[in-house]
Amino acid sequence: MSDRLLLNTLLLSPLVSALLIFLINISIAKTKQYIYTFLALSGSGISALIALFVSYYSYFAEKLFVSHLFTWLGIGDFTIEVTLKADSLSSFMLLFVAPVSFLIHIYAAGYMNKDKSYGRFFIYFNLFIFFMFLLILADNPIIMFIGWEGVGLISYALIGFYFEDIKNTYAGNKAFIVNRIGDFGFLSALMLMFIELGSGGFSYDAIFSHLTQIDNEMLTLIASLLFIGAMGKSAQIPLFVWLPDAMAGPTPVSALIHAATMVTAGVYMVARFAPLYNITVDVSLFIAYIGAFSALFAAIVASRQYDIKKILAYSTMSQLGFMFMALGVGAYSTALFHMFTHAFFKAVLFMGAGAIIVAFHHKQDIRQLRGIRYFDPFLFIMMFTASLTISAIPPFSAFFSKDAIMSVLYSSGHIELFFIAMAASLLTVYYMFRMIFVLFFSKTVQTGERSSVVMIYPMAILTLLSIFAGVLNLPEIFGGKLNISTWLNIADKDFFMSHSGEILLMGINTLLIVAVIIYTYKKYAYTVAIDRESEQTVVARKFCVDEMYNAAFVKPLHSLSTFLDMKISNLLINNTINLMALQYEKLGKAFSYFENGNVRFYALYILIGCVMGFVYLYFILRAVL
Amino acid sequence: MQNEIIFLILAAVAIVSSIVMISAHRPIDSALSFIVTLMSIAALFGLVNATFLFVVQIIIYAGAILSLILFIIMFLNIKDENLPDEKYKNRWLIATSIIVLPFSVILIDLILRSNIVLNRVAGDDFGTIKDVGLTLFSEWVLPFELVSILLLVSLVGSVTLSKREA
Amino acid sequence: MLKSYMILSIILFSIGMVGLISRRNIIVIYMSIELLLNAVNLSLVAISADLADSSAQVVSLIIIAIAASEAALFMALFVVLFRNKSSLDANLFDILGSKHE
Repeated sequence: MSDRLLLNTLLLSPLVSALLIFLINISIAKTKQYIYTFLALSGSGISALIALFVSYYSYFAEKLFVSHLFTWLGIGDFTIEVTLKADSLSSFMLLFVAPVSFLIHIYAAGYMNKDKSYGRFFIYFNLFIFFMFLLILADNPIIMFIGWEGVGLISYALIGFYFEDIKNTYAGNKAFIVNRIGDFGFLSALMLMFIELGSGGFSYDAIFSHLTQIDNEMLTLIASLLFIGAMGKSAQIPLFVWLPDAMAGPTPVSALIHAATMVTAGVYMVARFAPLYNITVDVSLFIAYIGAFSALFAAIVASRQYDIKKILAYSTMSQLGFMFMALGVGAYSTALFHMFTHAFFKAVLFMGAGAIIVAFHHKQDIRQLRGIRYFDPFLFIMMFTASLTISAIPPFSAFFSKDAIMSVLYSSGHIELFFIAMAASLLTVYYMFRMIFVLFFSKTVQTGERSSVVMIYPMAILTLLSIFAGVLNLPEIFGGKLNISTWLNIADKDFFMSHSGEILLMGINTLLIVAVIIYTYKKYAYTVAIDRESEQTVVARKFCVDEMYNAAFVKPLHSLSTFLDMKISNLLINNTINLMALQYEKLGKAFSYFENGNVRFYALYILIGCVMGFVYLYFILRAVL
Repeated sequence: MQNEIIFLILAAVAIVSSIVMISAHRPIDSALSFIVTLMSIAALFGLVNATFLFVVQIIIYAGAILSLILFIIMFLNIKDENLPDEKYKNRWLIATSIIVLPFSVILIDLILRSNIVLNRVAGDDFGTIKDVGLTLFSEWVLPFELVSILLLVSLVGSVTLSKREA
Repeated sequence: MLKSYMILSIILFSIGMVGLISRRNIIVIYMSIELLLNAVNLSLVAISADLADSSAQVVSLIIIAIAASEAALFMALFVVLFRNKSSLDANLFDILGSKHE
């Protein structure tokens, strides 16, 4: 099995299945749903199998898979080769992206059952994972940018999937536009890098080997611009406003894109450019602070939200903040490991939310969904487990990843980051369990339709993974060997923390978490406290960020463009052109007096012309002498 | 010497009568002075020994064409109110002659300056009917035939044009 | 001799042009056209005399024939035009002009 065949099939099978579904969708009017299901699942299933295979070999045999496709541009010194490379970082990403995508595909087949745009949904879904794989496997920041833009585009298409309601389209627009602002930063950084380094080849290895040739200010600029791209894609302050609105799309979209894959593209990109961020420590610190503030902000806002999916959206933003904090202080593999575990439990949470929404006919407010524990106990167990995971209770997987982040932050020397992270983490526990207790622990009891098996089984698999995945990167105090970190082999900074310090930290953490759970239980379980919370507080209105952006950016641009259209385009340019046309008309009328139809006058004109010709020849040119 | 004097007299008559022709108000006056012009031109033809053309000019031009014109003028019964009201006739004439002046001045200048006179010696029967006839029917027979067709065409055309709508 | 004939021909030609353009009476316009033809005939005969070649006289003869046919057509035209408009004004025929669009 050659490298080329494996990687190319991995990349292209979702694309081919999307294409086939598209062709069938437009040619045959009423297709059986199972054809689409088969094509979609095979497209993503083949990729998942190959991804497992590739990461197995990459880990155990330390094999580097390379597949050179073609040369896109070759202009003198500057070449862009389209090469797929699965080094350890890419294989690690593939390890969780591909199987999670496959499981969410299965879930989506159940969620979108009997939907009238079933085929269109899976076209977009498969195209999405094609672009995600392109992003992960690219050897070259320009090809990664193609994948980057592609996932943004498909995210827009999927958020606005139910386009009959115009609000969904606006949400999609918002996502795409805010993403675009980030893309502008990314593209500017790429162009700057190209100006400085383009002649030596533009793959990652070539860039990193020549990185020291660029002077420091330019490097800082490039690093900050790249991070602006990550801000847009991974919803950090100030470019996060699209993420809550993106919940307007169907829930599998939220589960896949806004929990496990697309939002992690920013983290992947920063990790990929780790050598750059190691040099520019100011930008790294900036990243850490942005992550910290995003985490805290999102956690505060989530604690007063009432829509299930919005709570989970802010939770995603908060967890991403944690990852960026770790990236900012230089602990790249810790951040990546947290991304790994986050994919699992966040997917479970979203899928559970989706199951609840479908079971209760699209009610999404937690105050109306109380007491649903008994209609589907299995769902309750899975959601509860995922919440325990996100709270970082031992021995669940996120305990290892989040605690690793905490210790790294503590020993990094920026103690304020540690305290912000601690606050955000406790708030995470608070809002997650607020949601769980209101939904499941209530005096009133409701029942709804049970979810289909197709939706439950993938959730079960992911729940198991979220429980046990921590074992992959056990730190030394528990006897593990940090397997994933050694595999990734990124330029982490070294952090030193004594074993006793670590155990003390973990102990205090766990105690605080348990305390918060008890407090939340007392407050929300079997009470009506949630109904007494007002919806008009500043926190509940998300600190009015959307309104501020609207007033500061949207309205001025809108009025500027209206002004330009009305005044300048209509009045100025149109009138000028009309005026010119009018002048021509008058001139034409003036000339028409010469054409009076009288032949004598025409003869006169001929005579005049002839005489003028004669005069010119004879007197002026002296042609005939 | 004699030739020059005769030429000058004839030239003067031609020019004066043509000027009268173009400036007369009534068409019959124009036609009559045109006859005088044609006669003088015919005389000028005769002066260079082109006797056949002298005769042809008088018979056909002055005799047939001009009499046709006179006939039509009288047939149409032109009264004074049918004539156009040419208020600015003099002004137009002077203006147009000013426009045409450079044209003729240039041509006359050219003629005076060049040496186009060849002065070959002609035979005895130059310009007689025999000489012209021989040339007409040997070298120029094709144009001759075509002219006859042209006459036929104009005959048919004039009949067609002036038919009254039935 | 030839030169004087040519100069006379040029003068008559110019007079004919002036008459063609200045007058509004269609009969006078027609006679100016005939005057143009005659001026050309004059110069042709002079050339023929100079070159001692009778071809130019033949050309002149043909021109006279053509003038005759043209005269017939013109007369027919006069009759028709006078019948329509009862006037001999050349300015009345301006349908091709831009006033009628």
